[in-house]
Amino acid sequence: MTGNKTALKLLGLAALLAFPVLPFSSEYVMHVAVLIMVYAVLAMGLNVLPGFCNLLDLGYVGFYGIGAYTAGILALNHNVSFWLIVPGAIALGALCGMLRGAPTLRLSGDYFAIVTFGFTELVVLFLTNEIWLTRGPLGLPGIPPIALSLEFLGIDWRYDFLSEIPYYYLGLAMVGAVYVVMCRIEDSRLGRAWLAIKEDPLAAASCGINLMAYKTVAFAFSAGVGALAGCFMAQWSMFLAPDVFKFWESFLVLCMIVLGGLGNINGAIVGAVVLIALGEVLRVLLPKLGLPAETRFLVYGLIMILIMRFKPGGFFPTIAATSKKSRLILDLKARLQAERAG
Amino acid sequence: MFEQQLFNGLTLGLIYALIAVGYTMVYGVIELINFAHGEVYMLGAFLCITFIQALGVPLFPAMVLAMACCAGIGVLIDQIAYKPLRKAPRLAALITAIGVSIFLQNIAMIIWGSRPVPFTRSAVPAAFSETAFTLGSVNVSGLQVFIYALTIAMMIGLTLIINKTRIGTAMRALAQNATAAALMGINVNRVISFTFALGSGLGAVAGILVGMYYNTLSATMGYNAGVKAFAAAVLGGIGSVPGAMLGGVVLGVAETLGAGYVSSQYRDGLGYAVMIAVILLRPSGLLGKSVGQKA
Amino acid sequence: MDTILKIDGVSKRFGGLMALADVSFEVKKGRILGLIGPNGAGKTTMFNCIAGIYKPTEGRIVFDKETGPVDVGGSRPEQMTQMGVARTFQNIRLFGSLPVLDNVRIGRHCRAAQGFWGAVLRTKGQKAEERMLVEQSMEYLDFVGLKNKALDLSSSLSYGDQRRLEIARALASQPKLLLLDEPAAGMNPQETASLVDLIHAIMRKDITVVLIEHDMKLVMSICEHLVVLDHGVKIAEGGPRDIRENPEVIEAYLGRGAAHA
Repeated sequence: MTGNKTALKLLGLAALLAFPVLPFSSEYVMHVAVLIMVYAVLAMGLNVLPGFCNLLDLGYVGFYGIGAYTAGILALNHNVSFWLIVPGAIALGALCGMLRGAPTLRLSGDYFAIVTFGFTELVVLFLTNEIWLTRGPLGLPGIPPIALSLEFLGIDWRYDFLSEIPYYYLGLAMVGAVYVVMCRIEDSRLGRAWLAIKEDPLAAASCGINLMAYKTVAFAFSAGVGALAGCFMAQWSMFLAPDVFKFWESFLVLCMIVLGGLGNINGAIVGAVVLIALGEVLRVLLPKLGLPAETRFLVYGLIMILIMRFKPGGFFPTIAATSKKSRLILDLKARLQAERAG
Repeated sequence: MFEQQLFNGLTLGLIYALIAVGYTMVYGVIELINFAHGEVYMLGAFLCITFIQALGVPLFPAMVLAMACCAGIGVLIDQIAYKPLRKAPRLAALITAIGVSIFLQNIAMIIWGSRPVPFTRSAVPAAFSETAFTLGSVNVSGLQVFIYALTIAMMIGLTLIINKTRIGTAMRALAQNATAAALMGINVNRVISFTFALGSGLGAVAGILVGMYYNTLSATMGYNAGVKAFAAAVLGGIGSVPGAMLGGVVLGVAETLGAGYVSSQYRDGLGYAVMIAVILLRPSGLLGKSVGQKA
Repeated sequence: MDTILKIDGVSKRFGGLMALADVSFEVKKGRILGLIGPNGAGKTTMFNCIAGIYKPTEGRIVFDKETGPVDVGGSRPEQMTQMGVARTFQNIRLFGSLPVLDNVRIGRHCRAAQGFWGAVLRTKGQKAEERMLVEQSMEYLDFVGLKNKALDLSSSLSYGDQRRLEIARALASQPKLLLLDEPAAGMNPQETASLVDLIHAIMRKDITVVLIEHDMKLVMSICEHLVVLDHGVKIAEGGPRDIRENPEVIEAYLGRGAAHA
């Protein structure tokens, strides 16, 4: 049983690694694969607030935008190294996340939802109007692609990302890293504190959990992950415009985690895969039906309503069941069973 | 200049108030932020011009028809989407509300297209675009006079319904304590439906007025109006009907003056800024009851 | 005899309603104090003031910390837990969708230290702490007799077991003072009897207990000292016998005239 599972996991990993060299992996397929990875990171990052803390975030792509523009401006105008761009963008995103959440710390979750509802709009307004910084509605074209270099260590090595393939592998590494971090946090004192707040804030406080401090950590962490996805995207797409970060994008990411099951890390990734793939299909299909491509959101809205009504645990409840098994718990289970038997 | 801005702001503010009332009433009775309310407002405007253009109905009957349709749509939204979730976690209903909002926006896009369309000029009385009266340096148009008169009359009507009728009393009782209201023999579901109908009808009127005032309608117009009316409801104290009216007017005036004197680019961000300030300084709003951490 | 908690002229007002009016009493270290009174007397409000959920409108709540007595009125709930005051709730408030073990691990939150970076990097210290949390939590579960149900969902427990789990969760924060809000409510006589044993076992751990309870037989049998509240006012205080014979108490419970009937 366990052997089978490990084998299956290895096979999956091998398939992911070999994906770019498979015959059907055209430039377009690779592009969609990378897009899925960007959204998988966004979905996992957004999941922290509604999934772990019961706070509905309706403006998540604001951080995606902040991360993307930070990376775009630093790479384009200041030629900053990728090694510095990433932590810089994450830190700025995290800071903005804390500032956005701070006014609602003492209030009920409804106020948080209200504040986030308009947040994307504010970010888009800023990106559109601060032309000196962002070039406004014209957008930022010509952002250089990612270049990894070890020159700062005195080693003469440099690698430029010139096709989809290196982005694919870097994206895979990013998804993997975020996934591991998410799983580790979920199964930790911090993750349990969040889940306690989600279940019952008053009881959580009575267990000694400082609600404001832990919510602030969640705000910062979630936003930081969004900014990370943004800075990857900026140098991958090489063009940014304020319109990319409108409310609809937040809605799409929210729909992913609703589909995968709120609080379910695996589900967030599955949600990203399903909805991005579906989006690509609809993008082709809808114009053929004489409808504007934006109307694919009709389907997303419908998915959201139906899931909440009929399958509030997400469309793939079994994925959730397999996720939460840490080593410690498995050991404990074995011990309890042994005691009962003996 | 200042006086002119003040009058323009008042026009906008009264319309915001009309939308904000819908948010706040629904929040009062079922503690749900009805994100789809902005879309009902948008549908009101589109339905109105459709009645005028497709059926040849004159403006005023078209307004009444649109209002009635939107009242029905509001009730349907509640019955189909929210009612099954009354006992589910709050987050489920909130997410559903956002889903409904996006769904309706796209329905509108399919029916009326994704580009902005103008309001049917020919149906609007000529007197609306003329200056009705001049007060010192201020020109007030016929449309503005119409907006003042209609919105104020509707708000007076609403206040009377809430305070003087049986169903209004039931609404207030429900807002105080739903369980107790049910025990007292109030038909909770009927009151909730009535609240949705009332709020949605007012929202539709607001949509039509905005459509006429700016002479433009779009499927996405509900989002911005939603955020602002929401800010107005929070400003007045969410759950408080007089608060929403006051909040709308204050926000409309502040926005117009802010656009005139501070920054016109950030005009749409001003409502947001006001909302944050209120949440920080006085989360219960101007006229609301005190709020705290909901356990 | 040392005082662990001193309630000094505490009042709590909600708008026009006086939920507590100038209540004073002392809780002696290592003893068990019963807080009784008819419904709406202000007992739970008193607990909420002590546990930091409400800030008293007036008066002092003096808690004997290691460093000496301090006025803790208006502290936040998590600060009170950190200082050594734990509580259970009248209407059970478990983390229902989490396993039994996690409820206790969360209860032990303030006696552990690992945060964000520990979790992300899985440092040695973090792993050791996680192991320890499981071991210690299992000890608390063993103490209340729920060891075998450690991995069950807490909402799947029977009512009596849920009450016990809530006690285990409170004990996990290593309190010096434990506030039990109607722990026997909804229990059958058998469960109540084992609850009495459990409370005695808690006392043997040098934990002071304050108990709100409606089951008079239970209160009278295990409390050495009782405080009676009625309409937010303290109407009597003393040993079980004094209280049982106090005419004001009888009147509060049975209505005017009953004392003379």
